[in-house]
Amino acid sequence: MLRFLAQRLAAAVLMMAALSVLTFGLLRLTPGDPVDAYIDPMVPMTEADIAALRTRLGLDRPLPVQYLAWAGAALKGDLGYSTQKERAPVARLLTQHALPTLMLMGTGLALATVLGIIVGIAGAVWRDSPFDIAVGVLSSLGISSPAFLTALLGVFVFSVHLRLAPSGGMASPGVPVTVANVLRHLWLPASLFAIAQTTLTLRYMRASLLEVLNADYVRTARAKGVAEFAVVMKHALRNALLPVVTLVGANISAAVGGAIFIETVFNWPGMGLLLVNAVEARDYPTIMGATLMIGAAVLLVNLATDLLYAAIDPRIRLQ
Amino acid sequence: MMPITRRGLALGAAALAAAPRLAAAQPSRNVMVGGFDVGPGGYQGNFNPLAATAGYTALNFMYEPLVIYTPALDRIEGALANGWEATAEKTKYTFTLADNVHWQDGQKFTSADVAFTLALAQDAKSGSIFASRLAGIAVTAPDAKTVVLTLTKPNASLPDLLSKLMMLPRHQLEPLGRDGLDHNPWWTKSPVGTGPFQFTHYETDQYVSYKAFPGYRLGKPKLDGLINRYFKDSASAVAALKAGEIEFSYVEPDEARGFTGNKDFRIIEGPSWVLNYIGFNWDAGLWTDERVRRAFLYAINRTEIVKTLFRGAADVADSLFIAPNVTPKTLEKYPYDPARARALLAAAGWEKINGRKPLPWLTYYNTPLIANVMAAMQAMLAQVGVAVVPRAVDVATYNGIVYAKKPDPSAYPLIFAGAQNGPDPAIANIWTAENQIPPNGTNVARIHDPALNAALAAAMAEGDDARRLADWRKVAEVANHDVPLAPMWVAKRYGVVTANVKNFVWQPAPSGGPFAQHAELWAFG
Repeated sequence: MLRFLAQRLAAAVLMMAALSVLTFGLLRLTPGDPVDAYIDPMVPMTEADIAALRTRLGLDRPLPVQYLAWAGAALKGDLGYSTQKERAPVARLLTQHALPTLMLMGTGLALATVLGIIVGIAGAVWRDSPFDIAVGVLSSLGISSPAFLTALLGVFVFSVHLRLAPSGGMASPGVPVTVANVLRHLWLPASLFAIAQTTLTLRYMRASLLEVLNADYVRTARAKGVAEFAVVMKHALRNALLPVVTLVGANISAAVGGAIFIETVFNWPGMGLLLVNAVEARDYPTIMGATLMIGAAVLLVNLATDLLYAAIDPRIRLQ
Repeated sequence: MMPITRRGLALGAAALAAAPRLAAAQPSRNVMVGGFDVGPGGYQGNFNPLAATAGYTALNFMYEPLVIYTPALDRIEGALANGWEATAEKTKYTFTLADNVHWQDGQKFTSADVAFTLALAQDAKSGSIFASRLAGIAVTAPDAKTVVLTLTKPNASLPDLLSKLMMLPRHQLEPLGRDGLDHNPWWTKSPVGTGPFQFTHYETDQYVSYKAFPGYRLGKPKLDGLINRYFKDSASAVAALKAGEIEFSYVEPDEARGFTGNKDFRIIEGPSWVLNYIGFNWDAGLWTDERVRRAFLYAINRTEIVKTLFRGAADVADSLFIAPNVTPKTLEKYPYDPARARALLAAAGWEKINGRKPLPWLTYYNTPLIANVMAAMQAMLAQVGVAVVPRAVDVATYNGIVYAKKPDPSAYPLIFAGAQNGPDPAIANIWTAENQIPPNGTNVARIHDPALNAALAAAMAEGDDARRLADWRKVAEVANHDVPLAPMWVAKRYGVVTANVKNFVWQPAPSGGPFAQHAELWAFG
C-alpha cells in the first residue's frame, strides 16, 4: 500500500512538472501576450508605454529564462503576481478562488451523487415502469443540455422571473456575509451544476445495478428467502457501486469544465471564473498557477478513487 | 416520525419561496448598486488610475483629475483646478487649484500633491501608462494653490490628457516608493482620494463598496454609499437589473430594446465616440489605388445596415471625426452605389490586383450583432467582386497580430475595428499618422498617406485655437478625399438606470470618461 502510494506520488510530481512545461509552452504559442490583452484597441498607447509594461512583466526575457525563473520561484511557493489589473499575488488569488469552487462543486457533486444513486436504484428496481421511463427521458434531456444553456435558463426562470434566487455572486454585496446568505446564493448554481452529473450518475447506477441483479449470487440470495430490500441494498448495491465510483471520480475532473460555465454565468468567484478571466487577459502566472492547482486536484482525485476501489471491493489489491 | 400533510407541504413551500427573497437582502436603501464597470468603458479589478486604460466612471467616485470633461463631452472644465491659463503657443499652462479640497483622510490637497502625481505618472517604474505622454513636462508649484506645467513643444491637447490623470495623495504614496507601487495592497486596502465617495471594501471579483465622503468639496453626497458590482458580461448585469438587484448597468443595444416602454427603467443613449471603420493594410500592396478604397464605401450600404441591423443604434459616419465642429458639411458622402464601386474597381484593375481571391478580414469584435454586420458587408462586397472572409478573434490575439514585431500583411490585409475619436480630434493622429505605425503608435492599418500626414502634422503643431480648428477640418477633408480608411458608422451605446434614481448623470464616454458625473448629487426619490 505504502509502496503504491509512493509510486503514485512520484509519478504525480513528474506529471506536474510536465504539465507546467506544456502549459508554459502552449501559452507562448497562443497569439498575443498579457500586454496585448492589456491594450484597449480603441485607446491610444505609445510604444514606450507598451515596452515599459512588457519589461516590467518580464516578458522581454528569453522563454527558457522566463520558465526557469517562474519554476524556481514556484518551488519556493512564490507563484508570482497576476498580470491583470489588480496585480495580486497568484497564490492569494488561488486560495481565494479555490474555496468557492469547492463549495459549488462539492455541493453540486454531493447532490448529483446522492440523487443519482437513489434515482438510479429506483429505476433499476422498477425497471420499465412509468417512473423509469420518465427518468430516462429527463436524464436524456439533462445530459444533452449544455451547462451554459442550463445556467442561462436557470437565471432567467428562477432569478429574473420568479426571483427565488439572486442572479449572481456568492453573497449580497454591502451586507455582512452569513451562512444563510451564501446558501441562498449557492442553491441555484449548485442545482444547475448538478443536473448533468445527476443524469450521468443515475444512468450508470441503473445499468450497473440491473447487471448485478441478474448475477448468480443475487439469485441465490433470493432463493434463500432474503427480502428484496436486503437483496438490493445489502447484496447487489455494493458491487454495483464500483463503476459509479469510477464515474464520480471522473465527474470531479470533468466538473471543472461545467464549473467554468456556471461560474461565468453566475459570476461565482471560483477557479473557473479566475481561469476564464486569466485566459482572456493572457495572465500567464495565474493560468500557470490555476492549471497546476487543477491538475494536482485531478491527480489526487484519481488516487483517491483507486484507494476507494480497494475499500469497496476487497478483491482489488493495490500493487 | 412527523406525518407529511398537505398543510405541512404548503407551509414548507411557502417558507422555501420566502426564504430566498429575504436572503437576497440588499444593502441599505440609500446605497446605490450598479454595474459601473460593465461594457467597453469598464475596467473591472483596476484600482490604480495610473494604470487605467478605461474604467473612469468608477475611478471617479474616489479620485478626481485637475480638469474634466462636461457630461456632453463638448468642453473641458475645472475639477480640482478652478481653471487654467495657457500661453498662446501652448507651451506653458498655469492651474489654480480649487478651494477647500481635502483628502478623504482629512489632509489638505495642495499643489505638492499635483507635482507628486505628475512626477509619479512620468515614471514608468510606477506602472504608469502616462509616462511617455507626459515626458518632458516640467512641473513647478510656486505656491500651495498654483501649479505650472512647462512643455518643450506645443501641446494643445494637454488638458485632454490631464482630464484622465487622477490626483493622488503624496503623504500616503510617497513613503511606499515607486518600484512595485502598482501591486501595492494600498490600492485595494486603504486608498484615499478627493472624490465624493470613500473606498470601504473590495470583494475579489464580486464588488467594490464605497461610503459617502462628508468632507467632499462640493458637499456631502446624497447617497450613503455606492456599490460597484462586477459582472462577466452585460447579459448577467441585465439579469440583475431585471431581478431588482442593481440600479444601473451598461447594456448592449439589443438588451436596451428590452427595457423600452418599461416605466421602472430609464434608457440612456449616447454616442460611443468610437469610429468603426474598415482599415486597409497599406503594407499589403492591395490598396495603393485610392479608387479601390473608395469602391468599398460605394459598395457597402451603410444606411441600410444601420437601419436594419443596428436598428438605428448607430449613425453613418462620413468623416474621420465624430465631433461636429471639425466635420465640414461639404464632405463627400459616398452613397451606396454598387455600379459605381464596380466601375472604380475595374478602372483600378482590381482583377489584376487581387481579383476574387479571398481576403482575411480581421476583427476583435465578437458580438452576434457585429458578426451579422460583417456578414452583410461580406455579401455586399462580393456583389462588386471583392471576396472577404471575416475572422473574429479575441483582443489579445488581434493585438498580437497587428502589433507583431514583424507583421505579416497577408494575415490581415483588412481589419474591421474601432478607434476612439474625440472629444479631442488630436486623438486621431495616433491611429492615422505614418509616424504612428506600430511600434510607435496605434496606426495598425499602417496608413502612409503623405497628404494626410502633412495635414495632421500642421494641426498637431498649431497652438492657436481657431487656426487649429481649421486645421482639423482640413484633415477631415483630406481623409474624405483620400479614404485612407473607410469610415462606417459611430455606434450608439446604452445604459439603463432604474426610474427611482434621481440626478443620475452617465453617458457612454470612451474609457468610461471621466466626465463631470456629479455622483454627490445622485439620490433615490
